Amino acid sequence: MTNNKVCVLGAGSTKYGKLNESIIEIALNAAKDAIDSAGITPKDIQAGYISNVFGVADKQVHMAPVIMSNLGISHVPGLTIESACGSGSVMFREAFANVAAGFYDCVLALGVEKVTHTGTARSTTLFSYCSDFFYEGGNGASFPGLFASMARAYMHTHKATEEDLANVAVKNHENGVLNPKAHVRKRITVDEVLKSPVVASPLKLLDCCPFSDGASATILCSEEFAKKSGRLYMEIIGSGRGASPAAVQGREDITTIPSTVAAARQAYKMAGVTPKDINFAEVHDCFTIAEIIDIEDLGFFPKGKAAHAVRDGATRLKGEIPINPSGGLKSKGHPIGATGVGQVVEVFDQFTGMAGERTVPNAEIALTHNFGATGASAAVHIFRKVDRK
Amino acid sequence: MMEKLDKENTREKFIEAANRKKILAHRCTKCGHLMLETVLYCEKCSASKFEHAELEGSGTVVTYTIQAVAPEGFEDAGSYAWVVLKLDNHQLRASGFLPGVKTPADLPIGTKVRVTGFDAKHGLMLQK
Repeated sequence: MTNNKVCVLGAGSTKYGKLNESIIEIALNAAKDAIDSAGITPKDIQAGYISNVFGVADKQVHMAPVIMSNLGISHVPGLTIESACGSGSVMFREAFANVAAGFYDCVLALGVEKVTHTGTARSTTLFSYCSDFFYEGGNGASFPGLFASMARAYMHTHKATEEDLANVAVKNHENGVLNPKAHVRKRITVDEVLKSPVVASPLKLLDCCPFSDGASATILCSEEFAKKSGRLYMEIIGSGRGASPAAVQGREDITTIPSTVAAARQAYKMAGVTPKDINFAEVHDCFTIAEIIDIEDLGFFPKGKAAHAVRDGATRLKGEIPINPSGGLKSKGHPIGATGVGQVVEVFDQFTGMAGERTVPNAEIALTHNFGATGASAAVHIFRKVDRK
Repeated sequence: MMEKLDKENTREKFIEAANRKKILAHRCTKCGHLMLETVLYCEKCSASKFEHAELEGSGTVVTYTIQAVAPEGFEDAGSYAWVVLKLDNHQLRASGFLPGVKTPADLPIGTKVRVTGFDAKHGLMLQK
């Protein structure tokens, strides 16, 4: 496949957490940050790609035209993409593909979500609609329940323990404390995770990411556009998409997510790199078990070995492959339509000297991984830092 | 045992079979692959001609969770498990609602379970 080089020229996020503004105001705040960060004006934007899942909960769907209108560019076409918790990365891929194909030189790719005002019970129900509802939500499984069933299968097959899962949460909170925009900026201990209330066994409250509001935005452009700007930017060197059976029951092996494996394979191939070349990764840790499975499926660790690697510190900020320096979904938060874009914002911040104390030193190649539901849809992207000429 | 597929209201048929303690599946008439009733094209060969296969609603637990925090609609269900089971004599898996499970000791992986019916509120009902 041949395509034009695509770059990320600007990126911005709101804080993730319980936000008071409307979903549109949240989106616009992130858009403005990304536009300022890229040094462009809205007039440079030729198309808007928006990801969102539960706009209906804040009385707004068909969000793209509303966002474009409020950026003063109502003539610019936009579209809104939904792919459950993977909406952000799946949308980002479409934005990438359109710039790569030469349709546009500069686009806005923005994800946004607002659910916390609906309360925990309602949010839990809304999220369960992202499952294959006839087989899963309709039979009493919540989202934590579905991942709990994956955790039980993994623990049974690979002899992992609840402590192994807890180590992921502790590590991600350690990073999130260093992220001013994170939802839950609090160190936790393994003991606190193990003693937190059970949500769906074997997962406990502190194995689960929070429900969050928030928005993240990026400006994608052609290489020529990026070079002309004279600003710091990064290049998207790999992009992959994958799919899995929608229901957990449809998977022969419940300890791996086929969509991640497929998306990663494509992205590595396009980028011409291997997992060993990746300096850090932002991965989809909606629940602690997800990160364990992700970092095996992405090729960072052999199957069944991730729990040991996490225990040994390999995934910590100063480890051999830092995973989720932002704090991940677990600590930074999970505004589901925005999450996949937020991962790209973290890579941009890391590469442009904006990551403060959580900076991964000398990082030049990074990977983002984000999936929808229990991994029915997934996207992986690989980025290369471009040094200022 | 076998019946020609005539209508497309697949969920209704699946539920009707579950109420007779069976799992209704599709068997591809071209390649013989077995799928759940709700799949309309063969996963192996994309053919769309199937026979109904009524499988015994019995199997073993592959994995499960005990929903300590029940989702809306299940608050009055007591302590229960959501279970993935592998059907006996087939590679096919299904998932359902198993009431009365309080701790993991109640349900080791590999436990035999069977379908008892389909409840409008709680879905595919299982029993140990």
